[in-house]
Parts: sequence; C-alpha cells; structure tokens
Amino acid sequence: MIQGLRNGDENAFRFLVDTYQDRIFNTSLGIVQNAEDAEDVAQEVFIQVYKSIHSFKGESKLSTWMYRIATTRSLDLLRSRKSKKRSGLVQRLFGDGNEPIYEIPDFNHPGVTLDRKENAAKLFKAIAQLPENQKIAFTLHKLEDLSYQEVSETMQTSVAAVESLMHRAKLNLRKILEKEQG
Amino acid sequence: MENNRNNRIDEVLSSLDNVQRATAPDFFYTRLKARMEKELVAEPRKSWALRPIYILGVLLVVLAVNAAIIFKGSSSETSPSDTETMQSIASEYRINSNLTYEINE
Repeated sequence: MIQGLRNGDENAFRFLVDTYQDRIFNTSLGIVQNAEDAEDVAQEVFIQVYKSIHSFKGESKLSTWMYRIATTRSLDLLRSRKSKKRSGLVQRLFGDGNEPIYEIPDFNHPGVTLDRKENAAKLFKAIAQLPENQKIAFTLHKLEDLSYQEVSETMQTSVAAVESLMHRAKLNLRKILEKEQG
Repeated sequence: MENNRNNRIDEVLSSLDNVQRATAPDFFYTRLKARMEKELVAEPRKSWALRPIYILGVLLVVLAVNAAIIFKGSSSETSPSDTETMQSIASEYRINSNLTYEINE
C-alpha cells in the first residue's frame, strides 16, 4: 500500500482512507469534541499523508504515524480556538464586543451507551481541561484502546512516561470532577 | 457521604470503558477527494518567482547593479591628468571666461 501511495495510486489511497478513517476521526473527535471539526481534522490528516508519504521512512508503523499527525492537528485546532477566544475577549474589553465568545457545548460521543451518556459528557468536559500531553495519552488509551506501548510510540516517549501521564490525568480528572460536583 | 461522592466520580471516570469507536461521517471519502482536488489544483498557481531564493537573488542583483553604478560614478570624476589635458585644449582654442567679454566689447 505504501508503495502504491508513493506512486500516487488512487486505489491505494482509497484503501488507506477506508482502513483508517474511523480511527483518525475517532481520535480527533475525542480531542476536539465536535464532529464537524473532527471531520476537518481527519481530512487534513489524509491530505498530509498523501503529500508527505515520500518522507515516511517506515521507522514506525503507518498507523502510529497517522495517529501522531491526528493528535498534532487536533491540538493545533484547539490552540486556534483558544486564541480566537482570547481575541474575542479583548474585543469585548475594548469595544466591539457584540460577538459572543466561542463556547464548547456539551459533547456526546456517539460510541457511548445511553445509560452512560450523562457521565461521559461530564468526563469529556473534564478531559478538555487537561494539559495537552495528558489529554492525548488519555484519549488514545481510552477511546482508541491503544496500549501504553502504542501510546508511547505515537507520542515518541517512553512507556514509563505514558504511565505517569495517565496517572496524573486520572488524578487531575478526579480533582476537576470533585470541583464540578461542589 | 464521602463514599457516595467518590463512587459517583468513579462512575464518571469509568463511563468511557468499552466505548465504541465513532465512525467517520457518510461520504467522508467523497468530501476528502473534493477538498484535495480544490487544494492541490490551487497549489501550482503559486509562482516560482515568489520563492524566497529567487526574491533574494533579484535583491542581490539590484544591489550589485546599484553598487556598480555608484562605483562607476565615483571613478568617472576627472583625474589630475585629465584636467591638465582639458586646460591645454581650452588654452589652445582660447576657451576661457574672458572670451565672452571680448565678444561683447
């Protein structure tokens, strides 16, 4: 498939998209918590793969590389949302403040069963407040069911580091949820 | 009371256990292809002349031409030997400031 992609073979590209679209979309969805944005990000991932397949050296699995691109692009989107939020606040302070500041609505992941939807929405709200690395590790492990080994390869860090990130993520999530509960 | 709170939080924390993977929207590939056709067609329009290396090259050429003009300009000032030559020619043909008075007289 990789050679086909390098040759610009559309069938190879179609196969790639069919194979990985759900994984990439799901990963992005867990991070950006919005279906439209997640689809945009997923498209960008495949476009980047298409353009830079020649620079893929095969040192990691193709899926690892794609997860890495997906998490990076998702974080880029979150950062750009944050900066839009900040500029909206500045506008509010200094005059033209008629536009509402962008607020992330409650997020319902389609893969969550009905009986858990309410709790899952609370959890996603808490995940959104985690530091980036903890967010990535938690999302890849919980939503994509990647092992700590696979997460470490995606994040280009050690398994011990991933264990630490997960431990801190859970502690932070607990703190956030306790605060929300009052 | 504390136990109840912890239990509720534990329930929230485990709400994503065994979650099903979300599937990409219908016609994802179709929309992806449409976007790629738009973006990849747009890219070649970027002129090669706008690449930084070419802009730098043009700037260097402009600077070199300017420097050459300035250098040439400064070297075209008359040297002492040129001045003597001009003076000897002027005296030979009696070209001096007095000539105008002679004519007018």
